[in-house]
Amino acid sequence: MADGQLYNNISLGGRGGTNPGQLKTDQRGIQWKKQGGGKAIEVDKADIVGVTWMKVPRSNQLGIRVKDGLYYKFIGFRDQDISSLTKFFQSNCGIAPEEKQLSVSGRNWGEVDLNGNMLTFLVGSKQAFEVSLADVAQTQLQGKNDVMLEFHVDDTTGANEKDSLMEISFHIPNTNTQFVGDESRP
Amino acid sequence: GDNRSSMRTAADLVAYKSVNDLPPQRDLMIHIDQKNETVLLPIYGSMVPFHVATIRTVSSQQDTNRTCYIRIIFNVPGTPFSPHDANSLKFQGSIYLKEVSFRSKDPRHISEVVQLIKTLRRQVVARESERAERAT
Repeated sequence: MADGQLYNNISLGGRGGTNPGQLKTDQRGIQWKKQGGGKAIEVDKADIVGVTWMKVPRSNQLGIRVKDGLYYKFIGFRDQDISSLTKFFQSNCGIAPEEKQLSVSGRNWGEVDLNGNMLTFLVGSKQAFEVSLADVAQTQLQGKNDVMLEFHVDDTTGANEKDSLMEISFHIPNTNTQFVGDESRP
Repeated sequence: GDNRSSMRTAADLVAYKSVNDLPPQRDLMIHIDQKNETVLLPIYGSMVPFHVATIRTVSSQQDTNRTCYIRIIFNVPGTPFSPHDANSLKFQGSIYLKEVSFRSKDPRHISEVVQLIKTLRRQVVARESERAERAT
């Protein structure tokens, strides 16, 4: 496992869309570099606290949660990359990746899960989408049952999506018991 | 009314059966999959599907800088015109995605999306209420 491993065509996912690049693993941890230079991410193996795999359309997505609550999403792994990377995380970080499933049923009701600064919307225990609370400019309670999250306007040049998410709101019926009377809300 | 029948059937309507059924990801922009009656929304670098039957209204707005805003409101239980029904009772305790809004630099694309969603939604609602009527 001392040898480094290189994965091409790996995109970093996030708020502003995806950026193509290259991911490298070695004994220090993982490094991702944007194609053509620019953004780079280095994660020391000691800082990794959680690893997840998720099957996405025509690809696989690797999620890496680090100590300070940050969460990185890398997309573009082939099926055969999973075993080599899983081995890497097991032998170098002592972490067994967890498998997550993507919801594609198209439903708009489910559960909200808060972990670190990520808010995940789950439909039938599968993940429909996740957003980072670090990008939320403000939250508002609307009426008794609705919570609105307003996102920062992202004008960075790194954004390469055509339509950008501005606001999202959740309806929490009185019958919900998860967030009953919780002022800190999702 | 319309909302009632669409809510009742929303539970049975499924956008995709498997992850691999999703259309190939092109640009990260709102996309309508007419065949599967689904709206795909770009959220954090992923395309997230919502069946058109979960959508209640869609509207758009343009400001002076030619920036466009699109607002999609989903069906949630307990609001006027969509009273509690079999669906919301079955999924009691669920949290609902109620509303999303997006900003776009392309007003033509946004007005096309609004039109497509409205037409598709009308078709699905008409078909489902016809089906409900035939069943009774």
